[in-house]
Amino acid sequence: MSYMMSKRSLFAASALLAVTFAAPAAHAQSRAETLRYVTGATVNTLDPNIPGSTREAFALSMSSYDRLVSFGRKQLNGKWVFDLDTITGELAESFQVSPDGLKITFKLRPDAKFQDGSPVTAEDVKWSLDRCVTAPILGKAQLLTGSLTSADQFKVIDPLTIEVTLPKPDKLALPNLATVYPIIINSKLAKAHATAEDPWALNWTKENAAGSGAYIVETFKPGEQVIAKRNDAWNRGTADKPAAFKRLIIQSVPEPATRANLVERGDADLVIDLQASDVQALEGKGKLKVISTPQYNAVTFISMNNTIPPFDNVNVRRAIAYALPYDDMFKAALFGRGAPLYGATWADGKPPSGGYPIPQPIKLDLEKAKAYLKEAGLPEGFATTFSFNVGQAATAEPMAALVKEQLGKIGITVDIQKLPDAQMSTAINEKKLPFFTEGIVAWLPSTDYFYRNFYTGKQRWNYSSTDNAELEKVAQAARFEADKAKYEEEGKELNAIHFDQMFQIPIWQAAQDAVMQPTVDGYVYQFTRQVDYRNLSRK
Amino acid sequence: MGTIGATLARAGRRFVSSLPALFGVLVFTFLLMRVLPGDPAVFFASGPNAGQEEIEVIRRQLGLDKPLPNQLAIYLADVARGNLGRSMMTGQAVAKDLKERLPASLELTLTALLIALVSAVPLGVVAALRPGSLLDHGVRLFCSLGVCVPTFVSGLLLIYVFYYLLGFAPDPTGRIDIFTTLPPSRTGFLLIDFLLAGDLDGWSAAARQLMLPAFTMALFVIAPLARITRASMLVSLGSDFIRTARSVGLSWWRIVVTYALRNAVLPVITIAGIVFSTMLGANVLVEKVFSWPGVASYALDALLVSDYAPVQGFVLLMATIFVIVNLLVDLLYGIADPRATVA
Repeated sequence: MSYMMSKRSLFAASALLAVTFAAPAAHAQSRAETLRYVTGATVNTLDPNIPGSTREAFALSMSSYDRLVSFGRKQLNGKWVFDLDTITGELAESFQVSPDGLKITFKLRPDAKFQDGSPVTAEDVKWSLDRCVTAPILGKAQLLTGSLTSADQFKVIDPLTIEVTLPKPDKLALPNLATVYPIIINSKLAKAHATAEDPWALNWTKENAAGSGAYIVETFKPGEQVIAKRNDAWNRGTADKPAAFKRLIIQSVPEPATRANLVERGDADLVIDLQASDVQALEGKGKLKVISTPQYNAVTFISMNNTIPPFDNVNVRRAIAYALPYDDMFKAALFGRGAPLYGATWADGKPPSGGYPIPQPIKLDLEKAKAYLKEAGLPEGFATTFSFNVGQAATAEPMAALVKEQLGKIGITVDIQKLPDAQMSTAINEKKLPFFTEGIVAWLPSTDYFYRNFYTGKQRWNYSSTDNAELEKVAQAARFEADKAKYEEEGKELNAIHFDQMFQIPIWQAAQDAVMQPTVDGYVYQFTRQVDYRNLSRK
Repeated sequence: MGTIGATLARAGRRFVSSLPALFGVLVFTFLLMRVLPGDPAVFFASGPNAGQEEIEVIRRQLGLDKPLPNQLAIYLADVARGNLGRSMMTGQAVAKDLKERLPASLELTLTALLIALVSAVPLGVVAALRPGSLLDHGVRLFCSLGVCVPTFVSGLLLIYVFYYLLGFAPDPTGRIDIFTTLPPSRTGFLLIDFLLAGDLDGWSAAARQLMLPAFTMALFVIAPLARITRASMLVSLGSDFIRTARSVGLSWWRIVVTYALRNAVLPVITIAGIVFSTMLGANVLVEKVFSWPGVASYALDALLVSDYAPVQGFVLLMATIFVIVNLLVDLLYGIADPRATVA
């Protein structure tokens, strides 16, 4: 009986095989007007403010919602990147900063409409900004960095005018309004879904987009795909036009090799998160367009916890800095794709600029390293662990192996520790790791922002647990410094302290490799390190 | 009718008696997740500028601020009401996620199992008929290859050949070509839903998409099935009743299929049940390689980021399926060998 069953199914299976491989590749409609973007990550919420939002969720919300203002773009070594210093209107037709820098007045576009057809009013803007600084959401901590902390700061002047007041002139106030979080929400729609426990309708916005953005979300399957159609009424693009692609498919494809195959076969239009080796191979074949931009608002570090012995000794940190095999790591981890932050020459030992990050004047020098170890009273070396998270294994694993090998030469025994992502985050937050690699990103990459967020305080982003009174003083002063020349001086001072104390070792800025069909045009490297779908078109 | 009724009653009793085991699994997973290092709140508060305050908010949302016994009590009460909690990773209710993803995994696993059985049983029988022959060694070689090549390797290899080089197969992402309109979801099994909707083009698109991952998985499990078939066929062929059947001059075909195979099939059913249960959980690599939206890859992603609720929900689901599959195996026993029902 069983055999009879098998025989029948054998027939069915072979028939099925015949049908499946003979069928034509159907369903290719509207391919040219669709952007198919494949990514290893997933969109997990439609509201970027929800704690736990992924970067893909940020990217989608850039297109499904509008903000008051947006960043312009500029060219950096021939590649288009976002420009922090040019702020243009998005929902705001114009904006004005008062001479004392304490008031910003936004005039809204009179023709702007939400995706349900209702007009965007100053009331909506106020509700959305109030929400951003009041609700327990991600926007709160971000807007804080631009002195936006309370609902009292937002005032409706008339249906198309809103005024933002600041306690002090803060040059990061306006750029903050262009970041991912301060989205302008259709407040009537959201309020209709608010409840007593959830006055800001977070549960609803998580699964429903109520914005005025360039794309209207049609299907949202977390972990699988998002399909969106163009909002034809949206005119906030260049030359007041709607976005170029009529449809947008954002698909999660976890396997990097498959993503590479898809884009090479022409089934996907654009992918950004490939393995460095695949990008190199695809670039070599020359059939696809590869735009490789160093992530100029991100830094990869080798961090040392400055409170855990022996890394609390500055000479140990210096010894490590001179013992790392920089060039080998750069080649093994990134295939040389990115911008190195080592091997610079600083004339008379002073930082050449007040920017951040700048290449450090360090290179592999084992003699120097040994001398510093001796000075630290550890001529025989010591034993430690070097940690990285599984999510970064592709680059961190070869790096860790090289670190272990190289440090072994000066007597430092390194035990490599590969931690699951959540475990790594926890250990970093609890300041338990002595020696590890991590990366940081700043949406608003100004020198003082980097130093304040990543080198002061007890929060997790202070990876090296730096506690340096002078650095903190200068960084705080630089925050509100209006004089550009003085700001530059303060930046140099910070860079000098950093190099002298070697809290942690910046090693490089990895490249963001965007691999796309030659017909895809308009890619700009964004502060989110994601694609802004609104920029793209097909030639 | 009487036998069927008795069988069902027995199945019902068996299911009820496995409830304590399911409860144990529930509590054990709950505790295990909390003992493992890694704090989900810290991980999910990893946006730029997320500080201690954000971590606390997430901890409250997840109920992790309460003492462990309270958390367990709340969790058990929720599960009793069919609420498996919320996934931080997808932002959806775990029950909803699992419900959407389970059919994808089942469809893939069942197809793979079918392909495996259809190839393994004849292979095993052939090998048993000529033990020690070149054919037998050939089968052994094939099985060894299947089982020793990891699924992600064979998966990537199949993709490379059939999609990348030859272009026969559709792009290996998900259950259906992205431009195909989905049928109304009735069972969640795309092959069935397309048939119900009368959409043959859609059906063939879904079947094309299913082929590579199903073959990848089938390759991996052909070995145990073929080996068991071979072994029990050998025993069966050497037993007295076969000698008797031979001596009375029954046809060769009848002896092999009706007498030998029918007797040899019991262990195959047992192994098939176990293989199915393991495949369902272990096909995570296949699901990853083919971007298949199934439960296994979902659980693995959740585990990496210490997202408690989905992992707990997944383990409970797997335990339940294991219990059900075992019951089914018992029922099939009864059909293959009526004596089993009485026992």
